[in-house]
Amino acid sequence: MNNYWLTLIGMACITFTCRYLFFAKKLPFELGIRTKRALRYTAPSVLTAMWVPIVFLSYQNIDVPFFHSPFLIAGLFAVALSIKLKSTLLVVIISIALFAILQLI
Amino acid sequence: MLSEIYIANKTENKKNKRQLIHRATFDILPLALAVIPWGILCGSLAIKVGLSPIQAQLMSLFVFAGAAQLASLTIIGAAGALSSIFSSTFVISSRHLLYSAVFREHVRQSSFSIRCSTAFFLTDEMFAVTCAYLEKNKSYSHLYAISAGIVFYLVWNVATFIGIYAGQLIPNIEELGLEFAIAATFIAIVIPAIKNTSTLMSVLASAISVLVLSINGSEHALIIATIIGMATGYFTASIGEQDE
Repeated sequence: MNNYWLTLIGMACITFTCRYLFFAKKLPFELGIRTKRALRYTAPSVLTAMWVPIVFLSYQNIDVPFFHSPFLIAGLFAVALSIKLKSTLLVVIISIALFAILQLI
Repeated sequence: MLSEIYIANKTENKKNKRQLIHRATFDILPLALAVIPWGILCGSLAIKVGLSPIQAQLMSLFVFAGAAQLASLTIIGAAGALSSIFSSTFVISSRHLLYSAVFREHVRQSSFSIRCSTAFFLTDEMFAVTCAYLEKNKSYSHLYAISAGIVFYLVWNVATFIGIYAGQLIPNIEELGLEFAIAATFIAIVIPAIKNTSTLMSVLASAISVLVLSINGSEHALIIATIIGMATGYFTASIGEQDE
């Protein structure tokens, strides 16, 4: 279907533009110190806004009570683990393993 | 004598470059491995909503944005309009505006090809490892950033490829909870990055806002919560400075 091709091209243009915009040499504005300071909080804020709904709200999609959700239990476990462990890989592997086990139970 | 030094320097440079590529690969690999379930989900979902295998693969090759791809596939699945696909892509991708603004001072003066490739390979994960590198070494490296980006790109596309095939073999693959992998990755990136009160406050504000907004069915929960989180971090930091 032609529509899908249009979707693909449009999305590719939008994502690339967002990533490229500030690399353009001729940009009519500069970033001030304040903006740069605010930008330091971008990554923690946006990533949190993405993981929090998966951990806390996914129980609605799988039809289990809030406190029994594997997403909640394994997610909170991952938070505790990443305070203790420095290795990103270990945190990810161990918490995914726990999630898989909880899914099977 | 001089030429010997020159050759020695050259091999030294080569060695450094190789080390830098290894370093980048090693740093991003955990995050790349964690994105595999997400890639599989994207590939299988694309087939399920009616894209051809080639279109599904091209989406990951050209768009290369996990969250935006998943969101748009969900909209296509619900027979949504093209305009809502594009607007959700923009809202989700707008965080990259901020990433590219952060790297601006390091990238802007470089050649067109370096600027284009840095932009193309700029993802949450590449941004996270490059920021960590920047903080540690006090210098920005194009080779490091782009290498990390390429490794991530390859893994993402192989995972999509697997998803395209697995999706045809395994029914209801999207009910396996593959999105948990991405939550685990983001947790592992965010929590260790909380090193001061202002970052903690920004994370808490973003978390609470996104929950409140999502429960109330806001379409732009992600971007509004992000802005609230950033503002909270910024103002907490300013208040801290006034106290000193």
